[in-house]
Amino acid sequence: MPKITRRGFVQSIGAASLAPATLLTQAPAWAADAPKPPASDGDKPLYLFFNADEAAFVEAACERLIPHDEVGPGALDAGVPNYLDKQLGGSWGAGERLYRSGPWQQGSPSQGYQLPFTPAELFHNALRAILAEFEGKTAFKDLPPDQQDAYLKSLEGGGKDLGGVPSATFFATLLQMTVEGYFSDPIYGGNKNMVAWRMIGFPGAYANYYDLVDKHGIKLDREPTSIGSDRKGHIHPDPNVPAKL
Amino acid sequence: MKTTRFAASVAACGFALSASIAFAADVPPAGDATRGAEIAATCQGCHGAHGEGIATASGPRIAGQTASYLVAQLQAYADGARTNPVMTAIAKGLDDQKKADAAAFFAAQSPPFAAPATHPNDAQLVRGKTLVRVGDESKQLQACANCHGPDGSGERFATPYLAGQSAAYIASAIGEWKAGTRRSGEALMGGVASRLDDNDIAAVSAYLESLGAIGD
Amino acid sequence: MAQRLQPVDVVVFGVGMVGSIVAKELAAAGHKVVGLERGAPRFTVPDFQGPAVHDELRFDIRKALMQDNTREAVTFRNKSSETGLPIRRWESFLPGTGLGGSHVHWNGQTYRFHAKDFELATAARERYGDKFLDADIRVQDWGVTYADLEPHYDRFEYLLGTSGKAGNLKGQIQAGGDPFESPRARDYPTPPQKEPYHGAIFRKAATDLGYHPFPQPSSNLSQPYTNPEGVKLNACVFCGFCERYACEHYAKSVPQTIILPVLLKNKNFELRTGCQVQRINLDSTKKKATGVTYIDAAGREFEQPASMVVLCGFALNNVRMLLLSGIGKPYDPSTEKGTVGRNYAYQTMSTVAAFFEQDKNINPFMASGASGTLINDFASENFDHSGLGFLGGAFVGAVNTNGRPIQYHPVPPDTPKWGAGWKRAVAEHYNHTVMLSLHGSSIAQKQNYLDLDPTYKDAWGQPLLRMTFDFPPNDLKMAAYVTSKAVEIGKAMGAKQVVGNPRKGPYTTQQYQTTHNTGGTVMGSDPSTSVVNRYLQSWDVPNLFVIGASNFPQNASWNPTGTIGALTYWAIDAMKNKYLKHPDKLVHA
Repeated sequence: MPKITRRGFVQSIGAASLAPATLLTQAPAWAADAPKPPASDGDKPLYLFFNADEAAFVEAACERLIPHDEVGPGALDAGVPNYLDKQLGGSWGAGERLYRSGPWQQGSPSQGYQLPFTPAELFHNALRAILAEFEGKTAFKDLPPDQQDAYLKSLEGGGKDLGGVPSATFFATLLQMTVEGYFSDPIYGGNKNMVAWRMIGFPGAYANYYDLVDKHGIKLDREPTSIGSDRKGHIHPDPNVPAKL
Repeated sequence: MKTTRFAASVAACGFALSASIAFAADVPPAGDATRGAEIAATCQGCHGAHGEGIATASGPRIAGQTASYLVAQLQAYADGARTNPVMTAIAKGLDDQKKADAAAFFAAQSPPFAAPATHPNDAQLVRGKTLVRVGDESKQLQACANCHGPDGSGERFATPYLAGQSAAYIASAIGEWKAGTRRSGEALMGGVASRLDDNDIAAVSAYLESLGAIGD
Repeated sequence: MAQRLQPVDVVVFGVGMVGSIVAKELAAAGHKVVGLERGAPRFTVPDFQGPAVHDELRFDIRKALMQDNTREAVTFRNKSSETGLPIRRWESFLPGTGLGGSHVHWNGQTYRFHAKDFELATAARERYGDKFLDADIRVQDWGVTYADLEPHYDRFEYLLGTSGKAGNLKGQIQAGGDPFESPRARDYPTPPQKEPYHGAIFRKAATDLGYHPFPQPSSNLSQPYTNPEGVKLNACVFCGFCERYACEHYAKSVPQTIILPVLLKNKNFELRTGCQVQRINLDSTKKKATGVTYIDAAGREFEQPASMVVLCGFALNNVRMLLLSGIGKPYDPSTEKGTVGRNYAYQTMSTVAAFFEQDKNINPFMASGASGTLINDFASENFDHSGLGFLGGAFVGAVNTNGRPIQYHPVPPDTPKWGAGWKRAVAEHYNHTVMLSLHGSSIAQKQNYLDLDPTYKDAWGQPLLRMTFDFPPNDLKMAAYVTSKAVEIGKAMGAKQVVGNPRKGPYTTQQYQTTHNTGGTVMGSDPSTSVVNRYLQSWDVPNLFVIGASNFPQNASWNPTGTIGALTYWAIDAMKNKYLKHPDKLVHA
């Protein structure tokens, strides 16, 4: 525990200001504060995009990208695989906002993504190749963590062709979507109960800071709010809020 | 003395929500709810035993507002940014510690909501709900919820809840901004108040008051 | 077969910031104006209302307010020797669409360029001689001076209600403002926004080092305001959802909150949304526009005859429309003949990350799009470039706009990209980091240009615009120099670790930098190096005006919106008081 000087106290707010410094040694705030999600059957999402084998790989892979530990929630705590499933199964996965015309040719890194795959196709093709690789061997999900990390690093480093998808492209997309699923608003199926926001102290969707912005250095220790938060702090999309854009 | 209180509160609270915030530039004292209960005896005649509000005494509900918001209002009464013959005298009689203590007491209360004093018709409820959740482009009015939280349930620490608040009180606060007699909160509420006509004030106040009855 | 409509006086292409102001002024002057906007209508209520609008995934990551790449994209290559390939998803720059255009989701950072910027070629030659600049650089004077534009900058700032503190009032330097700014006739219409914590830390360090910090001029207003059009705005609440988002509070100056309520009431104006202009039509002489052809949202083709056409469609779309219409000669970098597409430039962005101890709560999420504090000591021509070997500069500021966690989770450079170590670093640094922004000028060079792509098309079958661009070495030298100075400021701020990230080449479309695309329809006094004259009137087609950042001969150290606004009022003045009284060439070169 860091030394508490009188000066340090005067510049802080009661107990809560110690929170970040002691984050690593006491019971994690994200576990203590977050309301408990409903038990057992509520934990497993209904996968609409991934089949069971794909889901098993994605769950295990995401959990290595953001693992559960004393610092904060992992990808499974946050429901990241559910987020991926709903995004890939929806309009984003189908190629929303993607310029899809050919001809296709590989460009320079400055020119970005030049493959014909929609995100859904990219995942299905890559996962098919990955699962084929594990055929007859220990499943990825059953490997010890250091071997899982080694496999993921081999994808990250590139050089493998996963059904036409360069492994580095697949890995980068998986990592990007994992971070999105971790930090996006819970209405999208990830960041369950705002556990990731609690870890970093991001207050969420309701954000009137007019009276607080010039209180330099305060610790804003409050329940985060989601777009879908109701008066009681439960999260569900509010059908009365139009999102017309 | 500060260090002792600090050490005790660390042991007690860990990472729990802090009921008060102190600012780097000027640190008000942390409030003590037990001492605050004694001070609260003076408040209860208008605000009720637990701050639930007494409509006949024009005392709004203050239970569960954040301590920092309540302190800010007492300070506003004391230095004239808000004016009310009763509150001004009371606020001037409380030093900073007493303000913090009283605020800490009421911030911790959660009595049932008082029965609504107004009886809006359906059209008023719809209009009020629209203003709270959506706004009105023709009047350049944004949704109240943007700042006041989902259905006006407040946004910690500076924006008060309105859900379940006395309709008469909400209407009078808006009236004070319209008249220019309330300076605290004017930067954000002055423009809003100037764009609300009497029908809209009645509608939004009645709708917000009705949310108390929905309760838990 | 296109349906021919009744003629009108003016067609305005694009009803964003520029189009709204042009349309309002010309309609108010009695002219019949049609505004063609390809996107959808939208208004603060209900379309911009929270909490739905505070959705980082939807608006930041999925870019919900931006031009839809499935219908219309841009192709890109770093150099002419490469093949242009489609930018299949926006990252580096984010063209907007819809009523109000990009001005709906901008950050509100509102600057004036400095006097020397308008005569940069002359100033550079005088100060450094002919041999100073790299051989490929094409710096030009604008054909207007700061003094010409000052009243129009003023008018634009008062339309928006911009919050700031003047640094130079009629030649008198004002404490608390930017001492380097060129003289202004009067102060900003509203005082500066409150300073967030990161701005205050920066201010102290910059002052200690002898620099001149001042509050960023912000069109997210510090207090309620009624503009000269009678439209009211509210005070900004620092919600931290500014750029890429629409403002729910009526606090950001956007067309909907500053002028559309007036424009849309004027019976001389007709708004048509969902209309994709295909080309400007010309008569047989090719020197007169007869109107435009457009396709509506249901796919029907219309011809709208008009006496005058004004392109207000954003820099890239302005250039493309001239090329698609066969107006002017397209620029050829190998011969340097032709002017349309010439002098494309951008913005040279660098950062410095200052990591603090855990007891400093920065609260980055409490910010507006234009709050914070900066210095102009290393911007533009404000410092002596002798011996440095480059032209231009950057403003340096603690002007972070948000703490939205999908995109903002700063970590030190040796942090692993994923795993427990990554997560630990994110948790440790999220609320204890200040990012300094270095917003640098972008000089024009002969090989950076815009033209039509030979291969890729939009959903209407028209060629996409092709962008050929890489950072001129001049700008990378500038970035390295200013970054080294900014790192010193970071250290003076008391950070335990300071990391400079100077912009490095090659330019990539895959990392967000700014949407400050400039050039392509350059303004000037010489028709051989410009597309429009000093009044923004086409040299080739006198009843055509082009307004936007496409007019900039090169880009200066600050955000372009303020200068675009000034050019808009300047051009409107010429349209109303000169052109529309005697329709003719306004400049005979």
